Amino acid sequence: MTEATDPEAPDGRDSATIVAMRNIWKRFPGVVANQGIDLELRAGEVHALLGENGAGKSTLMHVLSGIYRPDAGAIYLDGQPVSFRSPAQAIAAGVGMVHQHFRLVETQTAAENIHLGWSETPWRASAKALEARTTQLTAQFGLKIDPSARIWQLSTGEQQRVEILRVLSRGARVLILDEPTSVLTPAEADELFSVVRSLSAAGRSVVLITHKLDEVLAASDRVTVLRGGRVVASRLTPGCDRQTLARLVIGQDMVTRLNRAERLPGKPVLEVAAIGALSDRGLPALRELSLTVREGEILGIAGVAGNGQSELAQALTGLRPTLEGSIKIDGVEMAGASPTRFVDAGVGHIPEDRLGMGLVAILSISDNAILREFKQAPIARGLRIDVGEARRFARDLMSEAAVRAPGTEVPVRHLSGGNQQRLLAGRETRVASRLLIAVHPTQGLDIGATEELRRVLMEHRNRGSGVLLISEDLDEVLIMSDRIAVMYGGRIAGEVDAAYVDREKVGLLMGGVRATPEVAA
Amino acid sequence: MTAANLTAPAQRWHLRRRSDVPGWLSALVRLAAVLLAIVLVGVVLALGGLDPLALGAKALRQTLGTAYGLEQAALLATPLIMTGLAVAVGMKMRLWNIGVEGQLYFGALAATAVALNVKGPAPVMLAVVFLAGAAGGMLWMLVPALMRAYWSVNEIITTLLLNFVAVLLVGYFVIGPWRDRAAAILSASPRLPYLIPVIGQTYMNYGVLVPIAAAIVLALAIQNTRWGYEVRIIGGNRRVAEFAGIPVLRRILAVMLLSGALAGMAGMLQVTGSAQRLSGTISNGYGFMGIIVAALANASPLAVVPVGFLLAVLLNAGIVLQTQGLSVNAMLAINGVILIFAAIGEVAAGYRLVRGDPEAAVGPAEQPLRSERDDGTVGSDGLGVNRTS
Repeated sequence: MTEATDPEAPDGRDSATIVAMRNIWKRFPGVVANQGIDLELRAGEVHALLGENGAGKSTLMHVLSGIYRPDAGAIYLDGQPVSFRSPAQAIAAGVGMVHQHFRLVETQTAAENIHLGWSETPWRASAKALEARTTQLTAQFGLKIDPSARIWQLSTGEQQRVEILRVLSRGARVLILDEPTSVLTPAEADELFSVVRSLSAAGRSVVLITHKLDEVLAASDRVTVLRGGRVVASRLTPGCDRQTLARLVIGQDMVTRLNRAERLPGKPVLEVAAIGALSDRGLPALRELSLTVREGEILGIAGVAGNGQSELAQALTGLRPTLEGSIKIDGVEMAGASPTRFVDAGVGHIPEDRLGMGLVAILSISDNAILREFKQAPIARGLRIDVGEARRFARDLMSEAAVRAPGTEVPVRHLSGGNQQRLLAGRETRVASRLLIAVHPTQGLDIGATEELRRVLMEHRNRGSGVLLISEDLDEVLIMSDRIAVMYGGRIAGEVDAAYVDREKVGLLMGGVRATPEVAA
Repeated sequence: MTAANLTAPAQRWHLRRRSDVPGWLSALVRLAAVLLAIVLVGVVLALGGLDPLALGAKALRQTLGTAYGLEQAALLATPLIMTGLAVAVGMKMRLWNIGVEGQLYFGALAATAVALNVKGPAPVMLAVVFLAGAAGGMLWMLVPALMRAYWSVNEIITTLLLNFVAVLLVGYFVIGPWRDRAAAILSASPRLPYLIPVIGQTYMNYGVLVPIAAAIVLALAIQNTRWGYEVRIIGGNRRVAEFAGIPVLRRILAVMLLSGALAGMAGMLQVTGSAQRLSGTISNGYGFMGIIVAALANASPLAVVPVGFLLAVLLNAGIVLQTQGLSVNAMLAINGVILIFAAIGEVAAGYRLVRGDPEAAVGPAEQPLRSERDDGTVGSDGLGVNRTS
């Protein structure tokens, strides 16, 4: 099963091994997450850890960073056996991890979070002193953040920069990044990778946990592929291509382009004219933004995080007040309407944070399933809710949307991310007879679940509904969209036909470069 | 370079969090905890030279073994269940009504005011007085509810502070304007002209049925109505409720006012029931005991009924033991021990004892392996309460 570790070091680099993990086993109730894994990290290399969700990548790195202790196996740091009992011990030895889900204190500032639990935090920790130190650190590592901003005010991309800076500031020699680009836009990812390269050039070892093939090819020196808790292959990246890696990861060839029914665009479903809205911080988030979505088309919104995408989705579903401009659904003015009216007008919404806004984790599948339709017969009978009907409805929705769970009364938090998202998408597509707004619909999902969800969106388009797809994954926008609009600074920077565009042109628009005449549609 | 290199982890007993606690287990653990507490109390009594078995048998016989004991327990359970429901309904939305005591007092005050000043046929007047009690409790909750809904002012503080105002206000009326001069009682109103009829040849009045009916209605409302569904969604995740267009502020107002109304009804049932008059000691801390009842019942309205009844039995057993030479303070201590054990049992049900490497149990390892965040309860719930699952 395991291929021999390549004896060659990456060309022209110091091949000194910093970390060696030997025969690591880790069991959890019902699953063996790591089954005898060997892994070596060398100084100055970017080592990609590739695999689907549940392949054991994160578990392995949690073992290395002191969060878990292995059931069996040994870890050597500079040839010496080590046994980290906590993340604090690991970071003291120079092994630090940036988690996929942030571990930040939301109500405190970026500077305070970076200095939390750090031995070098000055005794007199005034806001001014911490912010000055943070500014220095941001300059040193090239990660821009506002030190005085509170975490809840930052976009997810900015929050991640705080996390990374927190680990880097503690002098990590081994930096583990868990799915770092799942919350980043391509531009931010590039920025991150340039940081990663400068770190590896300085002799540090960077582990990149990912399931994105392009990222592996673009950013890593070596790649280790995990499947089902075992190492499938460990190779030098230059000898690999996408197809090989994809085969190793999922064991089959990857579908690259989604089938779509050829159809002429129908009449406009959504017409947005010059709307403006404020962000949570009270700053302008949308400025004179205009766009149109027609029946049977997917309009993809690409853009760097924090350029107003979240606010746009909220404004178009009645969740955020607009200051000016007009929002029409099927020609009916909807600006200022309540979320319920948008739903009644046939607008469904798959929000960006499924457990933050879309689903109630502690309530059952049936309670979550009926959220959009509990006021209508047959679920509602007058003021009463017919529990039997609600369960029947949930059962139907589960089979329609391929939600796999033991029953309708299971709390949603016991479902996997893929099942949660299918439940959410199934519920929202039911009400989205005219328009479906999907925000980062495949974020955090494995390849299989991602493909399935994209198929659901495409089928919805093929049935004649309009789809507004907001995604920070540029590939997703390119694969899915009929037309692409790029958001920058709260506006549509340019709109292009998806058939005649490449990512460089979109990338320029995303970076704020003015649209050239031939790019603008 | 094999597993042999690994230093053997210490094999020690330690607690591990359960990902899911079945209801029967939770109930069983609580029961075991209460039994354990009773054994502990027995040992202490034995050390003090008393015969715990004889005392226990006597307490049991006089509370659960006789019709009189059961009737007294039902009477005492009435306010405990009502206040338990008042707290439980707030907990459904993660709101903490610590002011049940005050709302009970003000409800009793309002009921008394109407009963003493309005004349009419008894059945009609009882209904009117009942509504007056509910309205009084609601009124006492109005300011905290508005402040909570519209300005996010912490309801724990506001409701708690209003307790003192209500108790002192009742004190003023029963010592001043409403003092019963004929009976020469120092601090109580005259006997109310409208009292809840007694059931047959018992000591109970029909008021004991109200908490049971209230619990059933409340359970149905929460589980089987659109309103209750919206309340559960808001309690589960306020942002999801906003996402779905549920009027969150109105529901917060409604739930808090309902909580106040239930507390006010408890006050009304006291003055027109077992107490027959308003006095400064109309509640022996029932409002605060309601918090215990609701917490032990896990905010389930139907579970509040048996929990309230058992607490009533426990309190009455204490009274029995007082006649056997135990001091009031000893009784309070015994009740306290039993309740603390029950509370510990509630938490303990969420864990199991395992033998192994305790370090491995630190952190999120106990969650089933899943790269997704597996619940949305970390961080602010939007209602001002921070939960860390």
